[in-house]
Amino acid sequence: MKQFPVLIVLLPLFSALIIPLLPKKKRFLFGFVSVMFGLLFILSILSYLNVINDGSFRYVFGNYLAMVGIEFLIDPLIALLVLFVSGLSFLIIIYSFSDIQHELKEHQYAYYYCLIMLLMFSMLGMLYTNDIFNTYVFMEILSIVSTAIISIKHKRSNFLASFRYLMLSSIGSLTILMGLAFLYMVTGQLNMDSMSLVISNVWTLYPTNLVLAIGFILIGLAIKSAMFPLHIWLPDAHSSAPSPSSAFLSSLVVKIYIVVLIKVIYRIFGIEIIASLRIDDFILIMASLGMIFGSIFAIGQKDIKRLLAYSSVAQIGYIFLGIGLLTPLGLAAGLFHIFSHALMKSALFLSAGSIIFSTNKRKLIDLDGIGFKMPITMITFSIAALGMIGIPGISGFMSKIYLGLALIADKHPIFLSLILLSSFLNAIYYMPILISSFLKEDVLVKNTLQKDPLPLTMIIPMVIITLSVLLIGLYPQIIMDVIELALPYYF
Amino acid sequence: MNDLIVKLISRLLIPFIQLYGIYIILHGHLSFGGGFSGGALVGSSLMLYAIIFGLKESEKKLPHSVSQFIESFGVLAYIIIGFIGMILVGSFLSNKSAGFSLGEFGTLFSAGMIPLLTLAIGIKVASTMITLLQRLLKEDSHD
Repeated sequence: MKQFPVLIVLLPLFSALIIPLLPKKKRFLFGFVSVMFGLLFILSILSYLNVINDGSFRYVFGNYLAMVGIEFLIDPLIALLVLFVSGLSFLIIIYSFSDIQHELKEHQYAYYYCLIMLLMFSMLGMLYTNDIFNTYVFMEILSIVSTAIISIKHKRSNFLASFRYLMLSSIGSLTILMGLAFLYMVTGQLNMDSMSLVISNVWTLYPTNLVLAIGFILIGLAIKSAMFPLHIWLPDAHSSAPSPSSAFLSSLVVKIYIVVLIKVIYRIFGIEIIASLRIDDFILIMASLGMIFGSIFAIGQKDIKRLLAYSSVAQIGYIFLGIGLLTPLGLAAGLFHIFSHALMKSALFLSAGSIIFSTNKRKLIDLDGIGFKMPITMITFSIAALGMIGIPGISGFMSKIYLGLALIADKHPIFLSLILLSSFLNAIYYMPILISSFLKEDVLVKNTLQKDPLPLTMIIPMVIITLSVLLIGLYPQIIMDVIELALPYYF
Repeated sequence: MNDLIVKLISRLLIPFIQLYGIYIILHGHLSFGGGFSGGALVGSSLMLYAIIFGLKESEKKLPHSVSQFIESFGVLAYIIIGFIGMILVGSFLSNKSAGFSLGEFGTLFSAGMIPLLTLAIGIKVASTMITLLQRLLKEDSHD
């Protein structure tokens, strides 16, 4: 069926429009949202199976020529990413039904889910589209919706964080638009394939234009995906948002911008041009600085969600390191880490959210003995944290292995030592949490094993995400096979 | 705002602003402007009314719930028009091939479904502007 991509993109938009018209009852709203997300998940499974069986295909809107109109390109990687985004967001949404009642007022639920639906719409559209200006439009929707999601809690810190995010992401959007204008000057096209065709023919004539274009686009996307020196909006924004939205923003939204960067670097420009303009050195240096400094900043944090947000900065450095190598192995490692980091970070944010939900404690020093009060939550947290450090058997280890192999094959052993250093730094800030939660004792109560004081709708998504972290850690081929199938589209 | 001159002049102006906005929306496929600019004109006339006669009077003419409903309806109409092409020919937003009559070039009733789409966009933009203003005024009076 050729229509799946359109249905997948339009379904969240449709539900975002229906939600304000629904009767103002919790049951209707939650039922509608979960049915729509279930439908989205089923559609993306069908679309994925279709692409894996019949190969990739293009979808043109309104029977216009692809050069004039808007085109969707669905390759195996994009289909897998769509399946991943819809599946993970389905789990986070189920979690959010309980958590949101703790964090928001009742009249805000409808607005919240309306925003989440618009977020899904723009993310899925940005993944599918093969038209660079269409990407920009979805990007604007995504950054405005993320700002609204951050500021939905009426607190001072949320307003400050969302204002900062709004300013920086507007600068990012304008920078990207400027870069696109420079690209359009050279190519006169907006379709990615036509652009890459023109650029490969004429790039020696317009080197300055192309350097400016890739520079502007790279800086804009680096602001939006929190590459190291431009990450300053991320810790405030991700730590002050409600926990399900932190999971959304940290594990999915940031990754979508990275996928756009991959499309720009590998599909529009091509690796030869990027290498001869020496853009890759810039990416590698910034990525390795991010890996080290993100972890160092995280060590100093006292709030659990801020710690996780700084850890995201370091992990995004890994992804950029893989992308910046400009080799098939490097790209595969970076893409694999997109999946594994999204799973681990959402497990971490959801378990931190459950701790805040049941005990209202956010400070790291208050976590003594929490492993006995909330065993399932803390086991989830521990598995994901150990994965971040790189313990074998968990998906984080496999992405480090792939990244290391890619670095050795590309003769960059110095970055390998930086990965090791960053792993030790990860251990320095994750291990104290695990030690204090399982080995120390609270001052007031003795350590006796209890059942988690959480509703089932919060426990089940966390357990499923943890199991899939372990599954991907033990059988990385599930994702690697699809990535290898998709690599020819990017080289 | 309690000023006789402002009230009289705005009463005189609002119909013309709305007429001009509707003209721009309907001629979206023929001349400059279209759904967004025409919708912004119609919306600005509604906003002018709300600013001059106050939130209560404006809610009498167009209640908040109704404008919210129209807002969703605008985009839904766009999606439904797009689905017609998808069901008939198999491509979202198909125009001529889905059987929309293109008409004679340059006349008002031409270009297939594009006038319908601009109309949907115009409705959406006009109602969004008045919904935003009503919401801002309400926030001001409540907390």
